[in-house]
Amino acid sequence: MTAVAERVVVLDGASVPSREVVGNKGRSIAWMLSLGLPVPPALCLPIEECRRFHAAGGALDEEAWRAVLSGVEDLGEKLGRGFGDPERPLLVSVRSGAAVSMPGMMDTVLNLGITDEVEEALARLSGDEAFARSTHCRFIHQFGETVLGADLAEPGEEATPDQVREAVLRDTDEGVPTDPEEQLRAVIATVFGSWSSRRAKAYRRHWGISEDGGTAVIVQAMVFGNLGEDSGTGVLFSRNPLSGDPEPYGEWLPGGQGEDVVSGTHDPLPLEALARSLPTAHERLIRAAKLLEREHGDVQDVEFTVQRKELYLLQTRSAKRSPAAAVRAAVDLAQEGAIGRPEAVCRVSAEQLASVLAPRLSEPEIAKATVLARGVPACPGVAGGRAVPDSDAACEAAGEAVLVRPTTSPEDVSGMIAAAAVVTERGGSTSHAAVVTRALGRPSVVGVGEGVSEALLNSREITVDGSAGVVYAGILPTEDVDPAQVPGLAELIEWARELSPIEVVEDAPGAVDLDAAGAALEEDAPDPEALAAALRGAAAARGSVLASPEGARAAVRAGVGRVQKLPGQPAAALLLRFAQAKCNLEEERQT
Amino acid sequence: MTDVDLLALHGLAVKKAGSPEAVAAVLGAEEEEIASALDAAVQDGRAAGAKGTYMVAPPGREWLEQRYPEAFADFRADPAASEAYERFERINRELLALFTDWQMVPAAGGERVPNDHSDADYDAGIVDRLGAQHERAEKVLDRFAELEGRLGVYRTRLDAAYDRALAGEHDYVSGARIDSYHTVWFELHEDLLRMLGREREEAP
Repeated sequence: MTAVAERVVVLDGASVPSREVVGNKGRSIAWMLSLGLPVPPALCLPIEECRRFHAAGGALDEEAWRAVLSGVEDLGEKLGRGFGDPERPLLVSVRSGAAVSMPGMMDTVLNLGITDEVEEALARLSGDEAFARSTHCRFIHQFGETVLGADLAEPGEEATPDQVREAVLRDTDEGVPTDPEEQLRAVIATVFGSWSSRRAKAYRRHWGISEDGGTAVIVQAMVFGNLGEDSGTGVLFSRNPLSGDPEPYGEWLPGGQGEDVVSGTHDPLPLEALARSLPTAHERLIRAAKLLEREHGDVQDVEFTVQRKELYLLQTRSAKRSPAAAVRAAVDLAQEGAIGRPEAVCRVSAEQLASVLAPRLSEPEIAKATVLARGVPACPGVAGGRAVPDSDAACEAAGEAVLVRPTTSPEDVSGMIAAAAVVTERGGSTSHAAVVTRALGRPSVVGVGEGVSEALLNSREITVDGSAGVVYAGILPTEDVDPAQVPGLAELIEWARELSPIEVVEDAPGAVDLDAAGAALEEDAPDPEALAAALRGAAAARGSVLASPEGARAAVRAGVGRVQKLPGQPAAALLLRFAQAKCNLEEERQT
Repeated sequence: MTDVDLLALHGLAVKKAGSPEAVAAVLGAEEEEIASALDAAVQDGRAAGAKGTYMVAPPGREWLEQRYPEAFADFRADPAASEAYERFERINRELLALFTDWQMVPAAGGERVPNDHSDADYDAGIVDRLGAQHERAEKVLDRFAELEGRLGVYRTRLDAAYDRALAGEHDYVSGARIDSYHTVWFELHEDLLRMLGREREEAP
């Protein structure tokens, strides 16, 4: 850490400042740099400066501001660029970063430093006028919304900076500054100011977080992936997040910039394309991902950009993964010695395990079945029943029917609750029907097409595969999963059995029946005190609530020795809950 | 025929089925007044009711469709209402995408996996987006409330849902059995569609 006039922290990896000083994001950047990883240069206004800002009635201290300007000059020098330089421009991003992340804070403004002249320079450097113009438009739009509070439609592809500027002015009566320094100063003040936003205050009140904290501000040089053939952007997973296979998996978009990969507007190439065209950057990337995985002890999702052959890591975080990948990665990481077995067992949620164990349609059955409709898979899972056209019929059939609707309105919610599965003719993966069925865990396929209902209703009985987005004629049988067929599953279940202090059995005479005792699993979280009272002194127990984290915790705490599984309660899921409850309780005892 | 009869049945249609208390909550009206209006609707065959829960009967639906154009003529003709509705639609698209992100987390290769709520930062990011949309929605609801006072009730209900989501009650984002943000928003959407005589346009 180097102090510029002691008011700004340069994040160069020479040391790793604490999160109380530079916030979470600032610490993460410094930490990556300290590992020798390539991260775009950045500086940080520490949390202390936010307190000073508010103590001064919402004004940025002049000395701190001078330190920012000199720090930004240093960032530019490292890259051979200058902030506001019309020949070799430096653009920066500004982010908030508190010690604990919280809603209500201004998050990010990108592309600060852009002006009409800089736009021209960007067009020249990238050979892409449309990109330069849209970068300029996006900045004005983002500044208008986050700093000035405008509420605008997204600028279209044909929009010009002047038009967006005009739209902001109309909505807010205020203009977006054209001077890079003014832009920077205004955004920094907005970040600090957002600490006192209504939403941030409400959040702190709810969670009892002290008002005299604050947020840091990170100013980071932007790098570009669209500066020709030897540039691009992509995402790398340190192992495959869909299958859990230990090979790194990623996507590479040559000539792509920023959100291009994530937004899905362009078709990216597999990672091998990067290995072929830029082998050095590829090799560094793979090494970086493995290092980050080892340091975090978890699968990493790394966003990166290559600017003129030079690799930059933009962000790393624990990768979202499919349930099958969660099982395999946890077991593999433990077997590689990166984490312990208890940690591996805690890595897989009971929901993920339940999803891996969920009965599915067998291949031979699918091959024989008649496909009635295909649509968008909206909520995963398989269920069949009589096809009914409205909520009343679904309610009468109580769990035996599949609700088939053109589209859904609130009056269909009762039918969706009663139905085993749902199909709609119109709508996509973000339609109300999709949202409601996922909230209820009802398998659903949406957008099967106008008029398709008729065929479904005529077929009388149908089966909905909400994972594949297919509706079959008739009620198809499902089959249980063979643990040997899912990599890692047998080991995980075995480890959970070893760790669980409670044995799960088919029959436990004299077991306390929690359902009968009025502690069945309901919509609301179970009451820990009532559970503790019901379980006091019990050697054995059974009940729906034991499959919930609260129920498992209460049973482990009460020293229950055996649990009798109910029909439909997989023993593996119960064992996992008990093992996790035991680990959590031990962890709490230690702290 | 009074306006209360129309409003009571309209409120019931928005909710599909409900007690006078629930319908009164949607309308921001007195429970007793709604209860007697709903009893009258049952008498006339426009609603069916048992044990304090009412439903709109098919003749009631037709009756509503016939009455809407006249009852909401001013609202439908008002350019301010259409303009506010355009803004509502914009927020609606963002909110539905947000609910989807809340339930299903984007993973690799365009796939999504169910959100197991193990990543507090991810969840906080979505609640933050919900807060940002809620602030936009407040402005639009204030506009609607100026045109039709009872619509202000939705703001109170959305405030309550957002508040609980912010306090960590996950179900209040998109839970289907409670007055979650999505439940209230969905009812508001239906209410506006009926008032304006528009068709539901689903996101592609």
